[in-house]
Amino acid sequence: MTSATIQPPVGPDTTAARIPRKRIGTFRLYYRRFVRNRPAVAGVFVFAFLVLFAVVGPLIAQFSFSELDFLALGTPPDGTHWFGTAADGGDLFAQTAVGLQRSLMIALTVSIGTTVISAIVGTAAAYFGGTTERIILLIIHFLMVVPTFLILALVSSNAGGDWRVISAAMIFISWFFPARVIWTMALSLREREYVHAARYMGVPGMKIVLRHLLPNIGSLLVINFTLGVVGAVITETGLSFIGFGVKIPDVSLGSLIGIGANSLSSAPWTFYFPALALTLLTVSMALIADGLRDALDPTSAAGGRA
Amino acid sequence: MIVVATNVTYFLAWAFLDPRSNYVGRRPPLSEDQINRLLEPRNLSDTMPLLQRWWGWFTDIVLHWNWGVSPTGQSVNGQIAYRMWVSGELVLGATIIAAVLGIAVGVYTASRQYKVADRVWQGISIVTMNIPIIVAALGIVLGAIAINDALGFRLFYVTGASSDGVTGFFPVLIDSLQHLVLPTIALVFIGYSSYHFLQRSLLLDNIKADYVRTARAKGLTKQQAIRKHALRTSLIPVATQLAFSIPTVFTGAVLTETIFAWNGMGRYFVQTIGTNDVHGVVAIAAFTAVLTAIGAILADVAVVVLDPRVRVS
Amino acid sequence: MTAPLLSVRDLHVSFASEAGRVDAVRGVSFDLEPGRTLSIVGESGSGKSVTSLAIMGLLDDNAKVSGSIMFDGTELVGKGDKELSTLRGNGIAMIFQDPLTSLTPVYTIGDQLVEALTVHRSMSQADATARAIELLRMVGIPTPERRLKSFPHEFSGGMRQRVVIAIAMANNPKLIIADEPTTALDVTIQAQILDLIATAQRETGAAVIMITHDMGVVAKTADDVLVMYAGKPVEQAPVRELFHETRMPYSIGLLGAIPRVDKAEKTPLVPIKGNPPLLVNLPDECPFVARCPIATEACRTREPELRPIATAEGGAHLVACVRADEIEDGMIGGAPVYPVPELPTSALDRVPREDRPVTLDVRNMQKTFPLTKGAFLKRKVGEVHAVKGLTFDIREGETMAIVGESGCGKTTTLLQIMDLVTQTDGEITIAGTPVSTLHGGKAERAVRRDLQIVFQDPMGALDPRLTVADVIAEPLRAIGVPRAEADARVDELMDLVGLDPAHASRFPGAFSGGQRQRIGIARALATNPKIVVLDEPVSALDVSIQAGVINLLDELKVKLGLSYLFVAHDLSVVRHIADRVGVMYLGEFVEHGDVDAIFDNPQHPYTQALLSAIPVPDPDIERTRERIVLQGDLPSPTDRRDGCSFTSRCPLYKMLPPEQQSRCETEAPALKGSDAHANACHFR
Repeated sequence: MTSATIQPPVGPDTTAARIPRKRIGTFRLYYRRFVRNRPAVAGVFVFAFLVLFAVVGPLIAQFSFSELDFLALGTPPDGTHWFGTAADGGDLFAQTAVGLQRSLMIALTVSIGTTVISAIVGTAAAYFGGTTERIILLIIHFLMVVPTFLILALVSSNAGGDWRVISAAMIFISWFFPARVIWTMALSLREREYVHAARYMGVPGMKIVLRHLLPNIGSLLVINFTLGVVGAVITETGLSFIGFGVKIPDVSLGSLIGIGANSLSSAPWTFYFPALALTLLTVSMALIADGLRDALDPTSAAGGRA
Repeated sequence: MIVVATNVTYFLAWAFLDPRSNYVGRRPPLSEDQINRLLEPRNLSDTMPLLQRWWGWFTDIVLHWNWGVSPTGQSVNGQIAYRMWVSGELVLGATIIAAVLGIAVGVYTASRQYKVADRVWQGISIVTMNIPIIVAALGIVLGAIAINDALGFRLFYVTGASSDGVTGFFPVLIDSLQHLVLPTIALVFIGYSSYHFLQRSLLLDNIKADYVRTARAKGLTKQQAIRKHALRTSLIPVATQLAFSIPTVFTGAVLTETIFAWNGMGRYFVQTIGTNDVHGVVAIAAFTAVLTAIGAILADVAVVVLDPRVRVS
Repeated sequence: MTAPLLSVRDLHVSFASEAGRVDAVRGVSFDLEPGRTLSIVGESGSGKSVTSLAIMGLLDDNAKVSGSIMFDGTELVGKGDKELSTLRGNGIAMIFQDPLTSLTPVYTIGDQLVEALTVHRSMSQADATARAIELLRMVGIPTPERRLKSFPHEFSGGMRQRVVIAIAMANNPKLIIADEPTTALDVTIQAQILDLIATAQRETGAAVIMITHDMGVVAKTADDVLVMYAGKPVEQAPVRELFHETRMPYSIGLLGAIPRVDKAEKTPLVPIKGNPPLLVNLPDECPFVARCPIATEACRTREPELRPIATAEGGAHLVACVRADEIEDGMIGGAPVYPVPELPTSALDRVPREDRPVTLDVRNMQKTFPLTKGAFLKRKVGEVHAVKGLTFDIREGETMAIVGESGCGKTTTLLQIMDLVTQTDGEITIAGTPVSTLHGGKAERAVRRDLQIVFQDPMGALDPRLTVADVIAEPLRAIGVPRAEADARVDELMDLVGLDPAHASRFPGAFSGGQRQRIGIARALATNPKIVVLDEPVSALDVSIQAGVINLLDELKVKLGLSYLFVAHDLSVVRHIADRVGVMYLGEFVEHGDVDAIFDNPQHPYTQALLSAIPVPDPDIERTRERIVLQGDLPSPTDRRDGCSFTSRCPLYKMLPPEQQSRCETEAPALKGSDAHANACHFR
C-alpha cells in the first residue's frame, strides 16, 4: 500500500483500536483499489465490449462466417458487408466475430486449465518437499527442455485444427512454467510461521496446502490467470497464423490475419479488423492484469499509487 | 536431458509427419518403387522399421555429426549452418537495442515515479508489450509501404535479407540495413517493454533500500546514491535476463521471419513441419534445446560475476 | 555554558497518507551541546526516528517539515538535497539500526569507506585507503588491510555495525545520530558497540543523539533524555532526574513495565493498557489520556504544553502533564500512579520441585546440519553442530528458560522438540510418552495435544486469510472436535486471554501486535496442553505491551497448571518469568539451575559476561557497576573442538597459568553441581 508515503513505524504494535468503526471487507478493499486504476477500468470495459461482440456478433451478422459470397470477392466495407469481404468472399464481420469467439474460448480454457494445474502441482511440490518435490521439479525441468512449440505445432496440425485438441495441447505445454513460479512463491510461504504452527498442531499435509498455502497465493493465481489469457491468445494466434492452429473452414483471429497478410496492400481491411480486435483483446486483458496486480499484491512497489 | 528430449522428439516427429505424403498425389504420379528409391537412402522411408531408422539416424549424428537430409535431399547440417547466421543477423541487433532501450527507459522512469513521464511511458509500454508481433510487424509493413509510395522509391525493403546483384562493401552494407530496419523496428517495438518494466520495478525496490539511505547519509546526493548504489544492484537480474536471451538469438523469430521472408531458423521451423522434413524438425529441436541450456548457464555465470553474495555459500 | 551545537525549535513533520494527514512529529524542541549525549526514547510510532531523519534531511519527498533546526549556526530546514549532502557524513553522521541491510552488497567495505571520505574531500586513492585502514583499526576490526577487500555479507552483524560506525566517523563529524544502533544485535555485542560509540564520541568531541526504546541503554549512555509519545515530547530532563524524579505518567509507566535483571523479589510488571493513538486528526487533548490511570477532565480540554517543573534534583526538567506537580516518587495522593496488579500464586509453588510430575524430559539431544558450498554442485564442506548434547527436564507448573545469543542453538532445540525428532543417543519424553515410541499420524496427534507452541512474530504466526475464530479453532479441528463445541471453546479462550469474543470473526490484520500475540496464546491453549513452548514471545512487542503479555502468561500458568519452555535472549524477561534457566553457548548448556541462584551468583564466565552486559535501567547503578566486556565474535559453529568452546573469548582463560589453560583446550567440561545450580567450567 502506501508504505512509501507514511514513515512506517517500527514494530507491529502501532495504530489504534480501530475496533468498532466501519470494517472494510477484504474484497471491498481490493475492489476500491482496482477501481482507482483508470486504465484497468478502461480495460474492463473494452474487454466486456469484445465479449459482447463475440457473443452477439455472429447472431446479428447478415452472413454466416463460412458463407462465401462470390459476388463480392475482396470488396471494401460497405452497406452489405460491414467489414468488407476477404479475397474468397467470406464476410469479414462474421468472420471477425466468430474468430474472436474462437480465440477467446481457447484462451480462457487454456488459462483456467493451466492455472489450476500449475497451482496444485506447484504448491504440493513446495509443501511436501523431499522426493515428491524432486520428482516434480525433474518433470518440470525436462519439459522446459522439450521443444514445446514444436510439439504444439505438430499436434495441432495433425488434429486438423480442432480447437479442443489445440486447447488441450496448449495446457499441456504451458502448465509447467507457472508451476515453477508458484513453487518458488510457495517455498517462501512454507517457511511462514503459521504453516509451521499448523504442522505442529497435527494438521495433515494436504489440508495445509489447501487451507493455508493456496489462499495465500490466491492473488498470484488471479494475476497468473489473466496473464495466461493474454499469453494463450498470442500463442494461439501465432500458431494459427503460420497455419498450424485453427484451420479452414474454422476461423480464429490468427488465421484471419494470416490470410489477410497475403493481400495486405490490396485489401488492407482484411488485416485491419481482425488485427484491431486482437490488439484490443490483448491490451485490455493486460491492463486488467496490471490493475489486478496493483490491487491484490500489497508488496508491488512499482504499482500505481493506491 | 537434452539427449533424451531430442530422441523423444525424433519419435514424436515420426508420429506426426510422413515424408511419403510429399510425394503422394504428385502429377505425374510416382510409383511406390520410385518413392522408395528416393526416400530410403535418405533414411526417410517407412518401409524400414522405425527402430532401424532411429538407429541409423542416431549413429549418423554421434559418429559423423550428420543430422540427415530432408525429403528433397538437402543436408540438414547445411541448412542450419546457413540459417543460424541469418537469424543471428536479424535478431541480435534487435535484442541488444531492445535491452538498452528498455533499461534506459526503466531507469529514467524509476526516478520520476508517478510523474507524467513515468505514466506516459507505462502506458506506451503496456500497449506495445501486448500487441501481438504479427499485428505490429504487418502494421509496420503497411506503414513502410505507404512511406515508400510517398517517397517514390524503395527506402524500406519488406522482404528478404538482401537483394540480388548488389556488390561492393558499402552498397551491400546499405542494402542489408535497408532490409534490416523494418524487422528490427518490429522486434524492438514489442521487446523493449519487458526490460523497461523489470528494470523499473527492481530499481524502485532498491531505491527504498537501507543501503541507499546509508549512501545518502554519507553525503551522496539522492541522484548520486541512486546511480551508484541502487542501479548497480538492480542490474543483476536484468543482466541475467539478457544473458539468458542471447543464445536464443540464433533460434530466430518464427513469426517475424515468416512475415519478412527472411530465411532464418524461424522460417525453417515452419517449413520443415510443412514439408514433413523429419530430420530437420528434430535438428531444430535439438538446436533450440542446446541454446536454451547455454542461455541458462550464461545467466548463472552472469549472476556469479555480478553478485558477490553468490560466490560464497 | 558553551553555545549549543544543535538547536531544534518546534519541529513539525507530517506526511500524506491514505487515511489523511499523518502528523508524525508535533513540536519537538531541544538544545544539544558539543560532547553531550541526548537520548530520545519512545515506542513505535512515537516519532523518534522521523525526528532524526528530519535533521538529516533524509525523509521522503512528500514529507512536510516546518520549524527550525539550527546546526552549527546554519538553518537546515528548507535546504535542498545538494546543500544538505555536503553536511551529511561530514558535519552530521548517522548510524542506522539494521547492520545487515545498511551496507551495499555489491561493493567492498573498502570501496564504501573510501567513498565516504572522497565525497567530501579531494583525497588521492592511496591517502583515502590509508585512512580507511586506520578507521577500521579504530573500530576494532582485525587485519584491516585484508578486510578492505571483503564484501559486507562476509561479516557478522556486529562487525558490520562497526564498519557503519567507521563510515560515520570518517570525517570527524560534530554530531553523531545513532538510531537504535544495537537493537538488532546480541547483548554482548551491544555492549561492545555502545562502548565503541562512547569512544568515538570521546575521540572526536562529538555530540551524540542516541535513539532507543531500551531504558537500560538510556541509563548507560545519556546525559539528557527526551521522552516522546505520539509525536510529541512529553518529558525532558537530565538522566538522573528522569529515572528518579519521573513526573509524566507515561514515563512512569514505561519504567514500571520493564522487568529488572538485578532484582530478585518478583514484583508484577505494570502494563499500560491500550495502544498508542493514530497520528491522524488528533483531537486537542492529551494524547495519553485514553491510557492514563490518573486522567481527569482537565486532561481533555487542551493538549498539555511542555512546561518546566521544579524538582528535588534541581535540573532543567520539562513535562507535559497537567497533574505533574501532584506526582512524587511514582505516587499520587498516597496511592501508586499505576495500580499494581495482583501476583497470582499457585498451590504448586508449595510443592518442592522433585515431587512434581515431569512434563517434558530431554536427554542428550543432538543435532548437526551439513554445510554445503557451491552454486551449481553442492558439496558438503563441513558440519554445523547446532546442538551438542542437551539434557534437562521440566516439572508441572514450572517455567524453564533457555537463554543464549543468536547462533547458540536454542531455536534448533525448540524445533527438535516440536518436530518430535527421535534422537540417536537420547530421548525426548513428552508428558510421559517417549518420542521414539510414536509411529504414525494418530499417535503423533495424540501427543501434540499436550505440546503447543507460541511463536515470536505475532504477524507471521497467524494466517492473514483466516478469521480469528478459525485460527484459534484450528488445533481443535485437527483433533476432530465437532464444530459447535469448538466454537464455544473459542469464546472461552478469547475471554481467557483478555480479548473480546465479539471480534472472533475479524481478520488478524485488524488487531495490534500485542493482541495478535494473545490470539497466538489462545490458539496454543486450545487443546489444554501440558507444556507450552514459547519462542521469544515478547521480543517483537513494545515494552509497555510486553508487560501485559508477560503478566498474562504468568496468570495462565497458575490458573491452568501449565509448564512453559521459554526461549529468549532478553535476560530481564527471563529473570522475571522463569523458575529455572539454562544458559546456552554453541550448542550446550554452560550453566543450568534455579533462576535466582544463577542470576545472583553466576559462576560460568560466560554467564557473568552476559549478565554484566545487560544495561540496567538505573543510571546510578549502571554507571558504577563492574563490567566484563567480551572481545570478539561468536566463533563459527562448524569447528569441532576438543576442549571448552568458550576458550576463544573467556576472560578467565586469559588469566590462567599455562597448565590450566591446556586443560581448557583439551578437556571438554561437563555440567557439574547440583540440580539447583550446575555449571560447565573446570575452574568454578
